[in-house]
Amino acid sequence: MERQDMKEEHPRDPHVTRRGFMSGAAGLAAASVVAAPAGAQAPAREAPDLAQAVQAGRLPPLAQRLPQNPLVVTPVERVGTYGGTIRRGLRGSADHNGILRMVGNQGLTRWNLEFTDVLPNVAERWEVSQDSSEYTFYLRPGMKWSDGQPFGADDIVFTFEDVLANSEVYRSPPAIFVIAGRLPTVTKVNDSTVRFKFAGPYGMLLQQLATPLGQHPTLFAKHYASRFLTKYNAAGLPELMRAAGVQTVGDLFRAKCGDIEIPARWGNPEKPTLDPWVVADPYVGGATRVTMRRNPYFWQVDTEGKQLPYIDGINFSIAQDVESLMLDVISGRMDIQERHIDTLQNKPTVAQNAQRGNYRLFETVNANSQQVVVYLNQTHKDATMRAIFQNKEFREALSVAINRQEIIEIVYLGQSEPWQIGPRPTHPWYHERLSRQNTEFNPAKANQILDRLGYNRRNAQRIRLRPDGQPLFFAVDVIPTLYPDQVDVLELLKRHWAEVGVDVKVNTIERALFFTRTDSYDHDAMVWPGPGGLEPITAAWDAICYHPQGSRYAIAWALWYATNGREGQEPPESHKRRTRLYDQALATSDVRVQGELMKQAFDLAAESFDVFGICLAPNLFGIASNRLRNVPARMPNAWSWPNPGPSLPQQYFFTS
Amino acid sequence: MSDTAAAAPAVDRNAARFAAASQWRLMWWSFRRHKLAMIGLFVTLAIYIVALAPDFFSVSDPIRQNARSVYHPPQIGLLHFFDEGSFRPHVYGMTLRRDPVTLAPTFVPDPSRKIYLGLFVQGYEYNLLGLFPVETHLFGPVDPRQNIYLFGADRLGRDVWSRIMAGAQISMSIGLVGVFMSLLIGIVLGGISGYYGGGIDFAIQRTIEFILALPQIPIWLALAAALPQNWPATYTYFMITVILSLVGWAQLARVVRGRFLSLRTEDFVVAARLDGASEMRIIFRQMLPSFMSHIVASVTLAIPAMILAETALSFLGLGLQPPVVSWGVLLREAQNVRSIATAPWLFAPGAAVVIAVLALNFLGDGLRDAADPYQK
Amino acid sequence: MLGFIVKRLMWMIPSLFVVSFLAFVLIQLPPGDYVTTYIATLAASNEIVDQTAAADLRARFGLDQPFIVQYAMWVTGIVTRGDFGLSFEWQQPVSGLIWERMAFTLLVTGSTLLLTWALAFPIGVYSAVRQYSIGDYFFTFLGFLGLAIPSFLLALVMMYIAVVEFGQEVGGLFSDRFVNAPWSWAKVEDLLKHLWVPVVILATNGTASLIRIMRANMLDELHRPYVTTARAKGLSEFRLLVKYPCRLAINPFISTIGWLLPNLISGALIVGVVLSLPTAGPLLLQALMAQDMYLAGAFILLMCGLTLIGTLISDILLALVDPRIRLE
Repeated sequence: MERQDMKEEHPRDPHVTRRGFMSGAAGLAAASVVAAPAGAQAPAREAPDLAQAVQAGRLPPLAQRLPQNPLVVTPVERVGTYGGTIRRGLRGSADHNGILRMVGNQGLTRWNLEFTDVLPNVAERWEVSQDSSEYTFYLRPGMKWSDGQPFGADDIVFTFEDVLANSEVYRSPPAIFVIAGRLPTVTKVNDSTVRFKFAGPYGMLLQQLATPLGQHPTLFAKHYASRFLTKYNAAGLPELMRAAGVQTVGDLFRAKCGDIEIPARWGNPEKPTLDPWVVADPYVGGATRVTMRRNPYFWQVDTEGKQLPYIDGINFSIAQDVESLMLDVISGRMDIQERHIDTLQNKPTVAQNAQRGNYRLFETVNANSQQVVVYLNQTHKDATMRAIFQNKEFREALSVAINRQEIIEIVYLGQSEPWQIGPRPTHPWYHERLSRQNTEFNPAKANQILDRLGYNRRNAQRIRLRPDGQPLFFAVDVIPTLYPDQVDVLELLKRHWAEVGVDVKVNTIERALFFTRTDSYDHDAMVWPGPGGLEPITAAWDAICYHPQGSRYAIAWALWYATNGREGQEPPESHKRRTRLYDQALATSDVRVQGELMKQAFDLAAESFDVFGICLAPNLFGIASNRLRNVPARMPNAWSWPNPGPSLPQQYFFTS
Repeated sequence: MSDTAAAAPAVDRNAARFAAASQWRLMWWSFRRHKLAMIGLFVTLAIYIVALAPDFFSVSDPIRQNARSVYHPPQIGLLHFFDEGSFRPHVYGMTLRRDPVTLAPTFVPDPSRKIYLGLFVQGYEYNLLGLFPVETHLFGPVDPRQNIYLFGADRLGRDVWSRIMAGAQISMSIGLVGVFMSLLIGIVLGGISGYYGGGIDFAIQRTIEFILALPQIPIWLALAAALPQNWPATYTYFMITVILSLVGWAQLARVVRGRFLSLRTEDFVVAARLDGASEMRIIFRQMLPSFMSHIVASVTLAIPAMILAETALSFLGLGLQPPVVSWGVLLREAQNVRSIATAPWLFAPGAAVVIAVLALNFLGDGLRDAADPYQK
Repeated sequence: MLGFIVKRLMWMIPSLFVVSFLAFVLIQLPPGDYVTTYIATLAASNEIVDQTAAADLRARFGLDQPFIVQYAMWVTGIVTRGDFGLSFEWQQPVSGLIWERMAFTLLVTGSTLLLTWALAFPIGVYSAVRQYSIGDYFFTFLGFLGLAIPSFLLALVMMYIAVVEFGQEVGGLFSDRFVNAPWSWAKVEDLLKHLWVPVVILATNGTASLIRIMRANMLDELHRPYVTTARAKGLSEFRLLVKYPCRLAINPFISTIGWLLPNLISGALIVGVVLSLPTAGPLLLQALMAQDMYLAGAFILLMCGLTLIGTLISDILLALVDPRIRLE
């Protein structure tokens, strides 16, 4: 089923190192200098309202607002025209990332459309030391914040020294920048050059900077944010805190300057940003909509030198119930929407109404690997259960007892294929055995294994008995409000397993309880989507037991790894070898070496068969108004590639 | 004094009958005249019979999924009664096709495949009243390997008709206990409060105010999360109903107190007191019957309110959860644009709720009127 | 009377303390805390929180403190500074968030209350006086039908029909261009255009029970000897009804005022969620679901306060309407 996956037009060439595409990046940047001459007779190079403001003297001319070498964006279809407002929907609570995905994706680096390479963004180029511990970023001279103040090395140094390392604001610095327990030393080389020196090798930095969690360096404007810190404004703080109604400096800073993923990031219209649109009506408690308008200082242009974004503004309506988002979509009141409505079950309804709503569907390639991973808790607190779940043959029996094709037909509308875990088939690291073993439907084999394991007696309900006389039973936790499809899958699983004499309870629980139970590994078993289909190195916790919130088949072992043996339980040798390989893979920036190390880890994971699943995570969809152009027909769907942001909404435009 | 009462023939024989009849007999006579109430009574009885043995009325196993009948449309309008001149009800088999682009399912009738229906047919096995295994169903396809979908099928190909039958059991039974518990506490405490007044009244009133001041939603939320996880879902919901009833008594107690306060000085109460009747006797024999009708009205409205509360809880994701089948759960599953637009038959459980609530309300309404002591 | 009111007001203070404590307990009762639910919500969109950030948040919000310390800090803030705390989610003071929403809540529930009473009162009286007439059956059936349809179902179906079939805009209380506009006559008109949808849905649900109570009370009163006496004296039927039985039948009506308000807020919650209204319900539900403690706590405290005041008003009205009831 190759058509499910994004065609990777530039598959990872195992012989190209990071340095290889760095030189390509430099080439692109060089081209951009040519493409942005500050021409006098270029009347259509900015939006009409901005041109008016310039005429009226309220705004400096375009040439002074753009950096010397703005980022040149090649439009997806064609060069666009200015105007229009994009209508999009948010959910009422905790949906700040819905804004981030559309607007706030301006890190030092960015992803390409295929999610395979890192491209220059705020940084126009960079240099990496031989051991990948020292990075030098060259920013764009003359670049401005959205309030017209210059952006430069000072802002980044400020962010690291006065914000991230400041215990008033961050009790502990963000994990993504911490190597060997320390933040990097960030020094200003000149106004537009900064150097990051890490305490050890950091092979993944450029990719991490392209993800949302790597946005800190471009988040805080020193000239604005410094007034909320004791170091810069000790005298004025009490008054500011009183006015904001908060008690601590940390609260004040967060309320005014936000953080990567908190609602307050979009709650303060005064805060300068580097985004294509800036907040007009903020995202605050009780808001029924959020509006954003064009940033007149946005630092990107199209191939004709016209300043982006094309679209005047964005209007996010806030729906308490996602069903009203669906209504808005099918009645044509949304210009682009995939968030909250893109379940496969919704697709027929949305597709059938495309003509009435005057929209088209685009495909989003699922970055996940497995739609439903079944995690049997191998570090169960009950010794008998632990022994049952740790038995690889038991897990194999359960896996082959599943009629995956039936589940795919019923729940996933026939849109997937039997699958376990691991990189998706189109990924260069695809691992046949890890992904396909034990996916055949073979109840006879399952019965045979279970008989052999000593569960050959059955009770009146035809459920197998354990040697101690108890029925072979366990509960599977699932959050119905989050993943209703998983409940459906479990109901089918319950029947499939009952047919081989294994009894399960579908334990539908509330989400906070779900997390509390798994964090302290109190669950028998649980289900969750399996990540790592398109980003196998940053989300490999189904194969490698390192993530105390992710590796839910053995949280105790992951805890042991994450705390260097202080907490949790010591894992078996196979797991220790895998985490060692993983550490090595993270430290290198050589893609080829990384691939080899990960293959060894995947071999071990395939051998030990810790978790099993149902089917490859199916591709989802989004809708775009027929009037809205330059929206790619396919894009990844991931958090690291926070769709649709990296498809550059700033180059979307409306046809009249 | 009502029109019909006035119109009743006042023949001597009848008068004698009225004089000799017990209070309950009088109530029954009065009740029979209320046409809607009689209908309500029969419908309620019918629903409770279904709730006792839902599987007997089902056509196929309500939790059995079927890949070939996902979103199968209802066949109730497609019934053919005559086959080659004789009376043999049947439907045509339907074949599922999926649109490759929109993924929308379409069903094409296949006239060569006739599915005959019969009464008392053999189907899936179940336990009648939880006691003995049976395979007989009231009606269904003559060939147990075939399926019919009177009210269509849901997203997993499960028969909606059978699921409504199964849902009746939980929805109709659960909540009854809650209502009766709140009734009991409410009358006792409200009565004491209203009759004695003074210090006791003050203390009970403050408690009631306090309990009323606690909003229900957070209590539901907190309790739903705090109940032990290893309980079966029905048991959990039963506990929530019981706790809700402990809150619900407060409203009833306040109403009862209001009536007691005004009745306290009525002549017949004063007379009873002067007669030396005990306090309990005065409350329960004299005062309580005088506003029985009001209590019956409250209870009548409380039972369907419990049924509706169950659907509301399910809507918020706090009540029963699938795979448990209740009307609330079924409605929750239908509560989306997808169902309205492409599978409106999934709202059939809503009709079941409406019918049950209507029937119970009319029943209680008739009871209320019949219990009115001044009617005759 | 004045003494009674003062005494009752004094009693409210300890009541509110107990309520605030219980509210706090209830919010804390579910396992996990704001940070767990926050992580869980983001996880639903495959979004991941920085690993150290979670512990950091807990410490900053004081969630690592013992329960009683958190409660003491909260109450101290309220009593000494009038500070209800900071909403974890919005990083905004709670009081600001609440008041804005309470205004719209009172508007929606108040309009609903008026409509319900305007419908229920005459229909209830009519149904009692013309018991078992066609009209009685008709209104009874209609009322029960409204009661029997779950409000969320009605709301969604109404929305679907309005949006898809008629191209109307129904969600919320304002059209897009008026949402953040300053108040003007046009904005009020726009508000009225939106307001009727939730009000009708809520009233559909609430009217039946009031009709039934009114009818039941009227029937109780209509057979009293004093009614017969009055009729015998030749009082016109209308004056007869309004002057005596109605006044008495309204008695249990008034008893219900006290909890009508919090009940309406609870009831409006579900409709508010479906219709995306800027009322208290959806925000309260969010706060509870997200375990945004201080926001939820302040909401509950406010609703409790409203109930206490409501009961007091209903007691005073009860005494005014029915002279047989004396206060103290």
